[in-house]
Amino acid sequence: MMRALLGRKETWLAVLLVAVFAALPWVSGNRYLIGQMIVFCLWATVAMQWNLVLGYAGIFSLAQLALYACGAYATAMLGFFLGWSLWAAMPVAAIVTTLLGLVIGAACLRLRGAYVALLTLAIAQVIYVLIITEADCFTYIDGVCQQLFGGTRGLTRFGDLGFRHLFGYKFIYADFYLALALLIVSSIIMLVIIRGPMGLAFRALRDNPGYAVSRGINRFKYQLLVFAVSAFFTGLAGAVQAAHFKSAGPSLFSPALLLFLLAAIVVGGVGRFWGPILGTALLMLADEGLKEVSDYRNIGLGLLIAAFVILMPQGLAGWSGNLLEGARHRKSSRAASES
Amino acid sequence: MEVIVQIIATGLTLGAMYALAAIGLSLVWGTLGMLNMAHGAMMTIGAYLCFYAIGMLGLPIFLGLPVALIGGALLGIVIYELCARFLIRRPQFENTIMIATFGIGIALENVILKLFGAYPTPQPLAVTGDFVIAGVHIPYQNLLIFCLALVLMTLVAGLLDHTRMGRAIRATAQNRDAAQLMGVPVSRVYRQVLGIAGALAAAAGVLISSQATLSPSMGGDPMLKAFIICVVAGLGNVRGAAAAALVLGVVEAAAQYLFGVRFGFATLLVIVIAALIWRPYGVFGRRQIVRL
Repeated sequence: MMRALLGRKETWLAVLLVAVFAALPWVSGNRYLIGQMIVFCLWATVAMQWNLVLGYAGIFSLAQLALYACGAYATAMLGFFLGWSLWAAMPVAAIVTTLLGLVIGAACLRLRGAYVALLTLAIAQVIYVLIITEADCFTYIDGVCQQLFGGTRGLTRFGDLGFRHLFGYKFIYADFYLALALLIVSSIIMLVIIRGPMGLAFRALRDNPGYAVSRGINRFKYQLLVFAVSAFFTGLAGAVQAAHFKSAGPSLFSPALLLFLLAAIVVGGVGRFWGPILGTALLMLADEGLKEVSDYRNIGLGLLIAAFVILMPQGLAGWSGNLLEGARHRKSSRAASES
Repeated sequence: MEVIVQIIATGLTLGAMYALAAIGLSLVWGTLGMLNMAHGAMMTIGAYLCFYAIGMLGLPIFLGLPVALIGGALLGIVIYELCARFLIRRPQFENTIMIATFGIGIALENVILKLFGAYPTPQPLAVTGDFVIAGVHIPYQNLLIFCLALVLMTLVAGLLDHTRMGRAIRATAQNRDAAQLMGVPVSRVYRQVLGIAGALAAAAGVLISSQATLSPSMGGDPMLKAFIICVVAGLGNVRGAAAAALVLGVVEAAAQYLFGVRFGFATLLVIVIAALIWRPYGVFGRRQIVRL
């Protein structure tokens, strides 16, 4: 099945990458490295799901981090206030996020292009402002005021996945495999969607909405669907984030993270399957390498986005794809001229 | 009664500042079809230029605003020359330019952060004292903001309606290809429009910072409100944007009074979503009929 979705070479590459990645913690047990790999899995998942909306469906939604935060907050709140096990809270959080994604998608249904960007940005900002300015106490815990969404502090101490109990200090390995599983499963489902008839419909609606609609593609249905799928996995990533870091706070909305993920998509390649993974990996490596000049990080990321949009709109994935394509083309034409 | 006067005075001041921010945005959208996500950063830079000119270079106080206007205009032109110029003829321009200007905006904001630090500072361009209407003290600062905004908007309206440059801008906004065929130098028009928008954004930044404080992230909130205003008015509708800004300013002031400050923005958003469901092309926007 995978071969039909990715092609032979790409499938082998994917299997190899996953194998190397999964084996890495056993080669080097460095906890910082494993922590960063967990972050990579989460961010890559969010970037890929954002790319599904942005690149494949061509809807410039800026509410992706609000969905990520929604997943994290829902998990944290279910664990904190209702005392749920996180294993039960995480899928419910993903479903709650899907509902939020559907609402946002429905609000944007009749809008196009720039209007969608503005509305989603405004929705995300309002959620953020309402959370950080929350002052009223929802309950009192040990006499300490506790806001419903945790205010500026966020929520902590809502239980964990039980890995620490099971595996002791190696619990971080379990967290890592959970995050990796999330990345792999969400990627495969995304592949099934974009390589199937649904993906064709998304791309048709992106490239020529008028023609697509007049050929009977239901814009209403597909737009809601793309928002729902993207929101589900983004929410799940948020839930895993909350479970791993054992906190959910307003920093999930940070513009720096929004910038980083957008840069990852643009550098990797908008509307390319490998784009967001490649971009996230490269930018995280660059982050590590450039720690000394981290003051300039956001300036650099901002300019990088602009430069890639202007100079290399297909991103690195598109560029390397073209190179391979070109090489194959030259080879086959040489073969043709020799015969 | 006093409450109403207070709300109207605050609302009109807010509205005047939002209007300056919104008409620049709307003008750029109407002419280039470009949503400038760096608009907030342009406001911030205008505010800091004024601060730098008066507070650090020691220029006389009345030179602060002109310095900001010129700086903002230059910044707008630079954004056109280095970024928009390359993208405008490409497919998917509407999305790519948003991504590119988003990146530029954040980069500019962080340059300011690097140069001036994160601490909020007061804007030196401010007047003190107040006057009394119906028992309500209204600072002269509010009056100054309102009048400056009005003067700038009148200038822009005059420019658009009565000059050759304005005619070229309106022609390009109506139909780029037709304007170009009639000999309008379209790329010069684009440069001028981004220059004007940059100057207006800078002025808005100076006025907004004179009421609150200067900080590197000060542009984000007014930019979002300017967006909302443009959306309500219909993107590209300059006069509608000015009118909507004043109305929404008063609405925001009233909502802040009635529901508390934190719900001011949320109320605006609810109104906008309702307006968009009712009329997806904005309240004053014309329904576009797209030929396929």
